Amino acid sequence: MSHPFVIFWTILTLGSIAWYGGLVFYVGIKAGRDIREMIKSLSEAQRDE
Amino acid sequence: MTLTLLDWIIIILYLAGCLAAGLAMRRYVRGVEDFAVAGREMNVNLGIASLAATEMGLVTIMYTAQLGFEKGLAGAMIGVLMAFAFWIVGRTGFIIEPLRFAGVMTIPELFEKRFSKRVRWLAGLFVVLGGLLNMGIFLRLGGEFLVWATGMPPGWLEWVMTGLLGLVLIYTVLGGMLSVLVTDYLQFLVMGVGIVVTSIFVLINVGGVDLITSLQAAWAGNSGMQLKGHPFNPFHESSLGWGYILWMLVFQIAVATTWQTTISRVLAAKNVLTAKRMYRRTAFYFVGRFLLPGLWGAGAFVYFSNQGGLPEGITSLTAMPHYLGLILPVGLIGLVIAAMLAAEMSTDSGYLLTWATVIYNDLVMPCLKNPLSPKNRLLLTRSLVLGIGVFLLFYGLWYELPGNAWDYLAVTGNIYIASVFTLLVAGLYWPRANSTGAYAALIMGAIGPLTFLILGQKYPIAPEIAGGAAFALAAAGMIVGSLAVSKPTTSNA
Repeated sequence: MSHPFVIFWTILTLGSIAWYGGLVFYVGIKAGRDIREMIKSLSEAQRDE
Repeated sequence: MTLTLLDWIIIILYLAGCLAAGLAMRRYVRGVEDFAVAGREMNVNLGIASLAATEMGLVTIMYTAQLGFEKGLAGAMIGVLMAFAFWIVGRTGFIIEPLRFAGVMTIPELFEKRFSKRVRWLAGLFVVLGGLLNMGIFLRLGGEFLVWATGMPPGWLEWVMTGLLGLVLIYTVLGGMLSVLVTDYLQFLVMGVGIVVTSIFVLINVGGVDLITSLQAAWAGNSGMQLKGHPFNPFHESSLGWGYILWMLVFQIAVATTWQTTISRVLAAKNVLTAKRMYRRTAFYFVGRFLLPGLWGAGAFVYFSNQGGLPEGITSLTAMPHYLGLILPVGLIGLVIAAMLAAEMSTDSGYLLTWATVIYNDLVMPCLKNPLSPKNRLLLTRSLVLGIGVFLLFYGLWYELPGNAWDYLAVTGNIYIASVFTLLVAGLYWPRANSTGAYAALIMGAIGPLTFLILGQKYPIAPEIAGGAAFALAAAGMIVGSLAVSKPTTSNA
């Protein structure tokens, strides 16, 4: 249990679960805004043609 | 079948949502630039979601779980190296910065500016060959997951995967990168929730401490099944070993800078800063990409070890989905299947579009005497996406893997990664590099991986030997070829 690699993988496993959970919410909200901006920009470009 | 009505409702709702979102984007496609690189309008967070969704396929989950089953948590060292590679490239801008500045749609296009049109064509051929062979096993492995996780009859595999590919083809052919970005976003959300929930469930089912002690017992030979490699120390000779890890370090830096599906996000980014930020922020994601499915594989090992061994017909590849099918409750299994379908679809769509763009941009266009009209260019690219889909169906059904899935993917990818990486580094940072060196690097870099593929089923070749040799041969080809000619044959980019 005290093997350095056991500690290493335990920290990384728990860190990955937390990271994925956080990333889904954080990026989920921000990327949703990015899509809205992208569609707005593409619509304007279409109107300009 | 282990699925209930609730599970089916979750899956159908998810599939319908993806199709609707993908189809809605087709109205914004005005030409090949929108179709292939989303009009270069992608911002950083959408880039992260898309990159993460594309690079985490069902095939990824299968091979990383197989690594976890065979090598314990030590198998996830590849993910640590990948994260390091992405972070360092994102920090320094190594290769991706000059590549984005060049304003090209594909990597081979840069080679025409730096070397010659023929080098671009040959590089495009290698990129497509390596990419398509690599992608060839995606459907089969994805189907294996569904068969063993849902209890679906094995005879349905081809039909279910054909249907799923058909769905992906509809929105990819019509909406290109714009549809891929929006569906990737949905798939990123569903997949992220599914991965987190499944990982927590596996930890609860096996028990964190029990997982560690059971893997240690299996390594010591005091368990229902023997673990051949050290479950925690990747440097141990029974695990990955130093040679394999060194090859993987070089390989992952090359992947981060040359893998066309990843680079297509760099090229679709608004600017260099966005691309570099996307790399840095996505880096840690790659640790979990290997570690969490690896945890499921290790959990499957402990579970079946406690049962006295693997059931008949189950292998190290199919143990994880069978295990999940046994332990996940109603509703959750539907969510996990939807998440895994999301992983498969986002990867398939991204890869279909990428390789079609390379065929169009680097193999077909340079051969045409008269340029096609914008309408015909779009039609051609869409037809290529469709053609690759048909190829996948047939290739995926008859090819048998010579070793484990990860080694096959690494070696087929290496057909072009080693040589294209060498061309990029030399072309961007070595003024003496020329097209003679580029030809030599392309051909010599493909020898090792092709030998592994052709002779690997008869004469076992260590993947680190085949892969490492490809990098060494490509570099030697570039240096000797370039120095053999008195001066560079074309102007710099």
